[in-house]
Amino acid sequence: MAGSALRRLMAEYKQLTLNPPEGIIAGPTTEENYFEWEALITGPEGTCFEGGVFPAKLIFPSDYPLSPPKMSFTCDMFHPNIYSDGRVCISILHAPGDDPMGYESSNERWSPVQSVEKILLSVISMLAEPNDESGANVDAAKMWREDREGFNKVAETLVRKTLGIPTSK
Amino acid sequence: MDNNHETTATKPEGLEQDELIIQQHREIEKEISDSILLIGQKEELTSLETEYINDPVYLTKIQDLNKKYKCMRRARPDGNCFFRSFAFAYFEYLMDHNEEYKHFKERALKSKDELISCGFTQFTLEDFHDTFMEVVNLIGEGQHEKLYDTFNMQGYSDYVVVYLRLITSGQLQKDAEFYKHFIEGDRTVVEFCHQEVEPMFKESDHIHIIALSTALNVGVRVRYMDRGESSEAIAHDFPEGSPVCVHLLYRPGHYDILYSR
Repeated sequence: MAGSALRRLMAEYKQLTLNPPEGIIAGPTTEENYFEWEALITGPEGTCFEGGVFPAKLIFPSDYPLSPPKMSFTCDMFHPNIYSDGRVCISILHAPGDDPMGYESSNERWSPVQSVEKILLSVISMLAEPNDESGANVDAAKMWREDREGFNKVAETLVRKTLGIPTSK
Repeated sequence: MDNNHETTATKPEGLEQDELIIQQHREIEKEISDSILLIGQKEELTSLETEYINDPVYLTKIQDLNKKYKCMRRARPDGNCFFRSFAFAYFEYLMDHNEEYKHFKERALKSKDELISCGFTQFTLEDFHDTFMEVVNLIGEGQHEKLYDTFNMQGYSDYVVVYLRLITSGQLQKDAEFYKHFIEGDRTVVEFCHQEVEPMFKESDHIHIIALSTALNVGVRVRYMDRGESSEAIAHDFPEGSPVCVHLLYRPGHYDILYSR
């Protein structure tokens, strides 16, 4: 089984290298282990995360793609759908049924024909449009709802941090 | 669902609760998978009686089934039981029907391009198609034992299930105008496929059976063993009126394979 998972992950890596989607770089951390990937995600234009380059890691299960990978950001993040330890909480990372979070039923779910690329594209949309009802980070969700200006400032600090630019003040 | 939102929004510990629930589901699933084969050996229908010892309605129906069917095979109740039972029963049937096997093999080969033209990405589809064809080629070797062993190897067995799920999804989307009338809730056919057909472990309903049997042109007879008043387990044929080559037993939430006398 791990054989088919490996084959699939190699195919996905090749696909992502040949046709990289805008704003995404992703691949295995080392050639020895295809089950752990690193990704760099560019903050979407026209949003408070614009200009940032956010590192994340993906961990694949041995029965991938029957089951989805887990994904977490390895930099500081402040976002309604990202836990304080970096874990990403979006519907495409869950099979239908695994949803005590109560995602909207129309959201994309994990299935074996989804892919790393689709996950990363969903993460970019998530950065652009947080779902303040999923509540992985309650403080962030609250700030996003009630104090957008404050939220944008925090995001700006995070963007600068990922670029190694000293924050103003 | 509203309640759920409230708890997650006010109490961060609620999140851990959610993960515990998922973990508990996983443990139950593991317990099932450790104790029941993906596809079991043939057994007498009377073996069902022990499960319904105090239940005259079910016992009467088992007796009736026993007159019509000589034995059964159990499939693991993991949400894939319809697809897995269908695949095994049909492949077994094809071993003894060479002409139909040739037609099916051709159809299976062509299905890949059909699915790609239906919008599935080639590189995500390819592995499932290739593994599916490997198992289809096994039918030609005519060794029942080997087919049985292959269906009990998780890697092969699950990939066959995935591919049948994709064929089912393709059929639903191709004929969306027709199938949209049978979809519950406010969803499009495509949404239904993403949520109820393509993901593993999602249970099958009539609509899955109709779409798959139509896509492959394979007659399926399902015997429904439920609490209904009739003294026999009522049969439904899919697609209606086609010659039957796969017999399945349905008990609420689960499918197994039947062998007629």
